[in-house]
Amino acid sequence: MADTMASAESTEAAEYLEGFLNKTLHLHITDGRMFVGQLKCTDNERNIILAMTHEYRQPSQVDIKLAAERHEKAGKSGNVKVDMKKRFLGLVVVPGQYITKMEVEG
Amino acid sequence: MAVAEASQSLTIDDRETEGKGINFAAERLAQEARQPLSFSGSRGTQDVTAEFAAAAKQLPPGQLVKDEYFTLFEAVGALEIMDPKMDSGYIPPGDSVEPGFDVCLGLPAEEVIWIMDELLRLTIVWHDGYPLSQTVYPSLHVDRLLSPDNKAPYTFSFGDSTDQYVETEERLVHVVLRAFCVALVKSCALVLHTIQSQGFYEEEDFVTHLFGRELLPGTGADEALRLVDEAVRFVEEESELDKDMRSALSERLQFVRLYVSLLMNDIDDWTDMTAMDEIADTHALARARPEAFSDKVQRQLATSTPPRPMVPITWEEAHQRWLQLSADITEAGDLTDYDVCQSPHGLQRAIWVFVYRNPTPNTFARAYLQNILFAGEQVTEGITFFDLMLTDMRDLVLAGHELADPQSFVVEMPADPRHKCSRIMEAFMDKAFDEYMNLYRMVCQNRCRIRRTFTQSVGILDNLERDAQRSDSELDGVIGGILLPTEDDSALIALNPLTSWTKYHKLLVMSWTIQLGFETDIYLPHETGMMYWYLMVFAQRRRKLLEHIDRFTSARVKNLASSGDVRPHADAVVSLDWLAVLRKEVDLIISLSSALWQLNTALAMTKVIEAPKRDYAQEQLLYDVRMKSYLGIAHDPVPSLDEYRDAEQSIRSTDEACVNVDSAVKDAKACLAELKKTTSKQGKYFGTENEWKREMKQLETTCVAVAVQTFQLRSTAYKHGQHSLKGIVEVRVPPPGSRYHDWWPVPQIKIKEKIAVV
Repeated sequence: MADTMASAESTEAAEYLEGFLNKTLHLHITDGRMFVGQLKCTDNERNIILAMTHEYRQPSQVDIKLAAERHEKAGKSGNVKVDMKKRFLGLVVVPGQYITKMEVEG
Repeated sequence: MAVAEASQSLTIDDRETEGKGINFAAERLAQEARQPLSFSGSRGTQDVTAEFAAAAKQLPPGQLVKDEYFTLFEAVGALEIMDPKMDSGYIPPGDSVEPGFDVCLGLPAEEVIWIMDELLRLTIVWHDGYPLSQTVYPSLHVDRLLSPDNKAPYTFSFGDSTDQYVETEERLVHVVLRAFCVALVKSCALVLHTIQSQGFYEEEDFVTHLFGRELLPGTGADEALRLVDEAVRFVEEESELDKDMRSALSERLQFVRLYVSLLMNDIDDWTDMTAMDEIADTHALARARPEAFSDKVQRQLATSTPPRPMVPITWEEAHQRWLQLSADITEAGDLTDYDVCQSPHGLQRAIWVFVYRNPTPNTFARAYLQNILFAGEQVTEGITFFDLMLTDMRDLVLAGHELADPQSFVVEMPADPRHKCSRIMEAFMDKAFDEYMNLYRMVCQNRCRIRRTFTQSVGILDNLERDAQRSDSELDGVIGGILLPTEDDSALIALNPLTSWTKYHKLLVMSWTIQLGFETDIYLPHETGMMYWYLMVFAQRRRKLLEHIDRFTSARVKNLASSGDVRPHADAVVSLDWLAVLRKEVDLIISLSSALWQLNTALAMTKVIEAPKRDYAQEQLLYDVRMKSYLGIAHDPVPSLDEYRDAEQSIRSTDEACVNVDSAVKDAKACLAELKKTTSKQGKYFGTENEWKREMKQLETTCVAVAVQTFQLRSTAYKHGQHSLKGIVEVRVPPPGSRYHDWWPVPQIKIKEKIAVV
């Protein structure tokens, strides 16, 4: 969808970005959450629309404490593995200003 | 689940896709499916933060880089992250991630009672269609039980045994409150199952979304009951609480136990749920512990919708709704009992009466009724759907005739004409089956959907008429037609029973769509007159059809009287009685709709009601859109706009209109007087006698109202000369819910006071 009047750089940039469409991105945002989904749309402010998105959140202190307690009760030793909390959201838009890190899969 | 979720955000918007429609969507789905979906975290990811940001900056402002199949229309539904109104996972600064309440803490009896009452309040709100995320899920105790990390035997301490908790207050939580929560969740699972097994509309009527949680799949309802019994034993025998507390706790436990047992069909007396009254009596003992509920649980739920607040209804309102649910379900059982089901017409009436209860029964109650009738192979003991349809045909057009005699259907000799006719009848009934069952099923839906579905039925029934004609021809081929000479003896006319039956239902449904249109307020004030005229026309056609059928049934009664066949003769006599009642009912509709048509016409003639000024609208086009569902009718097409205009213009003056209204109202009242004398046997309204009487009263009041308004209009027109009364008279049509009868809107005339200038 590049405007024919655009400069060579912006055409190149658009082509580069188009290469990410429908790929799975991992977006880390300022409050520590991560969003994993398929890239559907972006713009010059780096606003990102993701489809089929899952939200991942670091376990809280409470979660870690509970997991540690259960680990002990079960008589296990060694390190506790606490999974990130995950939930399905669907279609989301992440404003560019909150993105701290962006990774692409594959 | 993920695909189901994503497909909810798929829309087919012809504007964006230039009419590519279904193929476009299919391609898009295929394309998404081709992309491997992996949510496994850091397997093979590449950091592109800097490059991506640099590239994005190069784009001109406003330019989008987007997937060709992704439409901006869908983008509107995307949840905006970090916007508190849209992002259910957003944590305001200063707020904690988790609600800080420890669900394993012991609680005093007063607080446990409050939590139970709060759960009862929220559960009935869920029944009314609010999602679990706003109702039951915010209970932190329930949230813990349902946590994905938890498993059977679901305890607050993640599967740990509850033996460690010995203090009374601890056991009140881990034994009593836990049992209550488990049983309540199980009841929700059972209610959900009933609703999902019948017809309803997602989001309109009810929200079935579980938000990625499951309702304690590892524990059955029986186990829940066992837990409750244990809890009651603890309360009564070990807790050493004082008498009031013990009985308050026991009552609540027993109530939820009762609900689960009723839902499991272990017991079936729903009136026992009035035990809710005793719970309300002890509600004062409760002491609030609001920290035990939090909408922060929404941060953990799988949801494609914005965060929603918990629903505020008062405890007293909740109490009433529980009682209402119990009353509705008890009534559902009564209205569909064996005796009512003997008459298809009676059963249809019963279903209408059920959904017209005030307040309207909730989705679960309506699903419960559908379940009684449609879950199995029979509507009641010994009556299959086939039996129901055959009885319907027999009652209406073929009483006493061999064609509709159930005995004819079991004749096995292939050469026997009864065998041949029965197969023809069955083939037709097969085709008519779905639409016929809709006459029962669709009435259980919400009002708007009833109207919309029946609007579509009109076209389907019209097509079915063609099939009926073919089947009637085939029957003629076997037994010859059912014939009678015309009035003047010049020719023979045929009953064409299947065609007549189908046409009757088509005309009936056509009338319903207009009256439901009045009830759901879809017509503009200036259209009401025309719709009343069409209602009158449809009713007149139904009248003629009834007369046609009646001739044949009368002749049959005479023949059977002399032939000595007692049973068929009795059936035919009953049918004749009923046809007479149907004719009276339809006469009432003709008179009343004629009256209201002419009153509306008078209001239009005096310019009190006017069509809005629309510069680009053409009358014929507006008409085509409004009458769309009726214009496609091939068999006896409906009158055109020109024909309607001719009818309108045949009324020459406001005064003439008012005189006609009075005369029509008089006719209507006469019909009502006759109808009030009918017995439930004659009118086939056994089981709904009270509603029959009530409706007669409402219609009488409507007649009086029409006469009064007409008188007002007539005398005002006389006073001011019969031309424009614009500015002198104002009209207001009461909205549905505040009419004498919601199917008959009567305009209310108000004469503007003249302010004397001194």
